[in-house]
Amino acid sequence: MTPLEYLVVGLVLAGVFFSFVAVVGIIRLPDLYTRAHATSKSDTLGTVLSLGGIALLFGAEVSAVKTVLLLLFMLITNPTAAHAIARAAHDQGIEPWTASDEEGD
Amino acid sequence: MPDTSSRILVPVGESSTFRNTVAYAVREARRIASETGEESTVHFVYPVRWQLVDESERSAADAVAETLERARVWANDDLDYDDDGDLDAEDVSVSIETAVVGEDRYLFSPNDFAEVLLEYARDRGLDRIVLDPEYQPGGSAPMLQPLEFELARSGLLVEEAPVDRVVERSRLPSRANVSKALAMFGVSFGFYLLLAGVFDTFNLVTGAVSAGVVTAVFARISFVNTPSATGSVARIARFLLYVPYLLWEIVKANFSVAYIILHPDLPIDPEMQRYRAAIWGDLSVTTLANSITLTPGTLTVDMDRDSLIIHSLTGSARDGLAGGALERAVRFVFYGRSAARIPTPAERGTIASWTDDDQTDGDE
Repeated sequence: MTPLEYLVVGLVLAGVFFSFVAVVGIIRLPDLYTRAHATSKSDTLGTVLSLGGIALLFGAEVSAVKTVLLLLFMLITNPTAAHAIARAAHDQGIEPWTASDEEGD
Repeated sequence: MPDTSSRILVPVGESSTFRNTVAYAVREARRIASETGEESTVHFVYPVRWQLVDESERSAADAVAETLERARVWANDDLDYDDDGDLDAEDVSVSIETAVVGEDRYLFSPNDFAEVLLEYARDRGLDRIVLDPEYQPGGSAPMLQPLEFELARSGLLVEEAPVDRVVERSRLPSRANVSKALAMFGVSFGFYLLLAGVFDTFNLVTGAVSAGVVTAVFARISFVNTPSATGSVARIARFLLYVPYLLWEIVKANFSVAYIILHPDLPIDPEMQRYRAAIWGDLSVTTLANSITLTPGTLTVDMDRDSLIIHSLTGSARDGLAGGALERAVRFVFYGRSAARIPTPAERGTIASWTDDDQTDGDE
């Protein structure tokens, strides 16, 4: 394996790790708002790292540029989607979970 | 509800029928004043979409002041005031006021505009609103019909000034100017070629045609303000400086969130906060809101009147937000380096816990 391939594998593995964290977060966190944190941040970085690895593998090609564009759009649309979901919940009057709710569980 | 009133509110903005709307409102006020003998008043109100934060916006503020001053001069002409401010016509008293509203708010939707106008009307006891039929407070986005609807829901008397609109046709093309078209064409052509990846004749021609169609359709609505070459280049350059900073913040955010999520005790302490950021304008607020969502433990939930509603996952995330580093970075991108030196949100006291009281207050 060349150093480049090590880098690519490292990036993709890091991407898989953060995607995994996002999934664990969705399962473990208590309510919609906190889960949105997991999806908006960990999931974004997971996707961005994986795509970055793919772009490196393409090398100096048009495909790499397109992958970087894809990556940029993920960076813009992921927080927007998280915002839209949280906002819809907020409009519905869903109360955010707080540390004081924990005793009730 | 009375079918007429002499206490009139006129929202003003640049439009082709502005002059005639002023004349109509003053004529009405004067007619009623002379019929009933009571004092009439006409308020010309300019709802602004930004706040004065730096020098580049001072010219916009001057333009607003000039527009209001023109309304006052025209109104006084129509009333036949002489230079001393005395009314020549006997027994008719009409007072003219001008005001700027909305400086402390985000004004996006017709609902927002209606809210500040109605608030002003209630404070001053005005119960009739005369709208300019060409009034476009939202820049290029058509807004008059929904605004009229929102205003009419309040129970106040709302009407469009019955003025001629003969110049409408000559006005529309002038709104799409050369720099808007060039910017639109350049961006869409560049993007097309980037996706094509090959600079042969076929792609250049089809790209030019596609970009031309996009420009023809969207140049008028994609830009609210006319883009200036130097301003855009400086802004893009500053934005390129901002991206690595943001990426670094995102990476840090992810490690802290990953730590929290994978920690056996799940050490979270979520809270909603109301945050009045010192940032105005559609694009810059969007940038800030998205950056907040991407960085440590903070998530933009909503934009409520004059502030962002932010959900934070931990106490340290709240402290980071109150430190204002992101806000300064976004101000640096959009307003330049000098604007980045402002006190933190915590020092300004523009960040606080969000409670249900706020919500009931806001919904009304």
